Amino acid sequence: MLTKVWSVASRGLEALEIEVEVNVAAKGFPGFQIVGLPTKAVEEAKERVRTALVNTGIAFPAKKIVVNLAPADIPKEGSAYDLAMAVGILAAIGEIVLPACAGRPEKKIYFYGEVGLDGRLRHTRGVFLLASLAFEKGVKEIFVPKLSANEASVVKGVKSFPVVSLRQLIRHFQGEKKIRALKNLDKNRLIEAAEVDFDFKEVVGQEQAKRALLIAAAGGHNVLMVGPPGSGKTMLARALPGILPELLEAEALEVTKIYSVTGNIEPGGGLVRRRPFRSPHHTTSRMGLIGGGTKPMPGEISLAHRGVLFLDEFAEYPRTTLEALRQPLEDGVVTVVRVAGAMKFPASFMLVAASNPCPCGWLNHPKKPCICLPGQILNYQKRMSGPILDRIDIHINVPFVEVGKLRQDTPEVKEVHTSGVIRLQVVVARKIQEIRLKNDYIFTNGEMRNKQIKKYCRLSEDAERLLQTAADKFQLSARSYFRVIKISRTIADLERAEGIEYNHVAEALQYRVRS
Amino acid sequence: MPHPQSDLLYNKLMREWKEWEIKLLKYKDFPAGLQRVRPKVKQLFYRGEWKKDLFDKAVAVVGSRKITKYGRMATEMMVRGLTEAGYTIVSGFMYGVDTAAHKTCLENKGRTVAVLGCGLDCLTPAENDSLYTKILENGGLVVSEFTPKQEAKLWTFPYRNRIVAGLSQAVLVIEAGEKSGSLVTARWAFQQKKKVLAVPGMITASLSKGTNWLIKNGAGLARDANDILEELGGIRPLKEKRKGRILPKLRGEEAAVVEWLKREEMDADELSRKLNKSITQINILLSELCLKGVVEESGNKFMLGLEYVD
Repeated sequence: MLTKVWSVASRGLEALEIEVEVNVAAKGFPGFQIVGLPTKAVEEAKERVRTALVNTGIAFPAKKIVVNLAPADIPKEGSAYDLAMAVGILAAIGEIVLPACAGRPEKKIYFYGEVGLDGRLRHTRGVFLLASLAFEKGVKEIFVPKLSANEASVVKGVKSFPVVSLRQLIRHFQGEKKIRALKNLDKNRLIEAAEVDFDFKEVVGQEQAKRALLIAAAGGHNVLMVGPPGSGKTMLARALPGILPELLEAEALEVTKIYSVTGNIEPGGGLVRRRPFRSPHHTTSRMGLIGGGTKPMPGEISLAHRGVLFLDEFAEYPRTTLEALRQPLEDGVVTVVRVAGAMKFPASFMLVAASNPCPCGWLNHPKKPCICLPGQILNYQKRMSGPILDRIDIHINVPFVEVGKLRQDTPEVKEVHTSGVIRLQVVVARKIQEIRLKNDYIFTNGEMRNKQIKKYCRLSEDAERLLQTAADKFQLSARSYFRVIKISRTIADLERAEGIEYNHVAEALQYRVRS
Repeated sequence: MPHPQSDLLYNKLMREWKEWEIKLLKYKDFPAGLQRVRPKVKQLFYRGEWKKDLFDKAVAVVGSRKITKYGRMATEMMVRGLTEAGYTIVSGFMYGVDTAAHKTCLENKGRTVAVLGCGLDCLTPAENDSLYTKILENGGLVVSEFTPKQEAKLWTFPYRNRIVAGLSQAVLVIEAGEKSGSLVTARWAFQQKKKVLAVPGMITASLSKGTNWLIKNGAGLARDANDILEELGGIRPLKEKRKGRILPKLRGEEAAVVEWLKREEMDADELSRKLNKSITQINILLSELCLKGVVEESGNKFMLGLEYVD
């Protein structure tokens, strides 16, 4: 007897409906075959499904079973078809009765998930994508592993049934004991502030760097920190999530999609609630960073979408890896083309890079002598190419702090800025930007292009004059010129100023690229 | 075989100095100072136009290959003063102090002589390509005792230092670490009974260890160009002691920043603590002062512009 059930395949960040046809023939030698370009993991589903059914107490039919995954010309990967096949076999041998759908999407049911040998369902990646597709196609019911079901619960209008085991599923369709569908969760209530390793108040001194990070966080600007080892670059970067605003609802959905597909959501986890903070090691391969593979998958820059990509030891990354960042930094999206097809992955992230000034790290240090040869220093700094540096809005030096000197200098009463206080400023500034930029479908000043800069960044007369003088004196490139305006805009937003004033530009100039 | 035209283009664009003929100077034509140098210099190759008066008044300005902001300032001050007094600047063409000395001399329309540690058709260091041409174009010389095609080796540099000393009346060491090639030059100069002067530095600065040691061991103290001129026996040829340029009118806050920077170079954080002002205010002030040219920036430190240093 032939039955049809539906499941979903994912291609990059897109999902595709798959029809799983199961035929248990009355005649022919007993056997189990899967057709429709299955890869190894799909092929092995035979043994998993067979054993799981037997261990659930079903007499596995000693008949010729053929499973077809249609459309048959698209390669099928992964273990997520296990459940659909098992259900198909159960229906084909009459163990359960599926509601007839006759092609109407609202009657269709998606089955998705990996089955263990004991008949229990395992955490499977991509459930969020499945739920999104179900919503798009008008499918009302989906059956997914319980450990992954929370991902689906944020998609409204789709009933997701958390399945623990095949036995439970059989009971559900036999009408003995129904599985209760998950309630749709309110996304806004789920979103929470990121957990942080450090509070800004724990970082001693470094007022310049803190101010720069505040501006960067407020405007979504990229930052490069240069300083000797131990000056606090990494600590500052790790404190950054604490001053970033919470994810917006729309942002959270984008991030969840990427995390779901790449299997980065923990079992039982649902919506990604915290702004991503990714810090890949400098030995990360180019594809690991950008995304790729024969079947293209998102890389670190996409996992940092709407969050922070922290590249420590920036100059230690291979040059080719860094150069590959150019286009995503500009466009906020990366297109990966492979034989299997072209995929677009969102990659709108805030780049925070940290580097030493020279190979030994002690260049310009007040006490320790630098032991590098001039040529070595030049070579080291040359690794970060002009085009990359030009795409980083804020450049700061993080000097070595002599603790004794600091104590002696610091006046008695000095307001201490905690991450909480700073974050409040960031949130207000971001809100201002969100409202101003909503017609351009961007969120922050950092994402502004020249067109928007011209539209939204009015400089007062003396600010304009100051910028002109600076452009001549510091020989600013056209791109750096616009960067200064962008940062000025963010500084103005932090002060809730309507236009860009003299002081805003004057401060922004201190964060420019030094050649 | 390379394309003839590309070869031509290469010579034309990349190595303009190669168009200057390499000439050989015989021992009998050497300046007197050079004839006395031991081990004896047998031959001297040179590019440029040999003029006798070039070595009548010549001072060697040498120092470490690494150069600090202080070293650069000192080089600029000294070389400017010496050039204005009509002295030829002799140096070793290496990066760091040597290059700074050659460049400052050229900026002040002076003549400068580069003594290479390799054959005249080799270029070490490679980034001094355009400096090579400029020295020749401005009436200077590039000289070497090594035959063409001789590449720079570790031993060639200390060896050529005796020529640096031999061509000049005095050797000025700007910056030198404890084991610096500049100390070798100073030793040659002592041997040749030439005057040696050194620029003093902080006792904690690693690149001033060598110069301070020289001063302790008999080198003259060079605080400005006048000190050198005095040592060379001339009555002060400079009109007056050079005064720092008068600062433009500054606001109270700006003046306070300048006041601190007069004492020592600082980064923005230090200024913010010293002046008890927010970093935002300091950044604004620093931008303004930089644009006015009163303050300069190097590495991560801010300092008073060279013209304004007394």
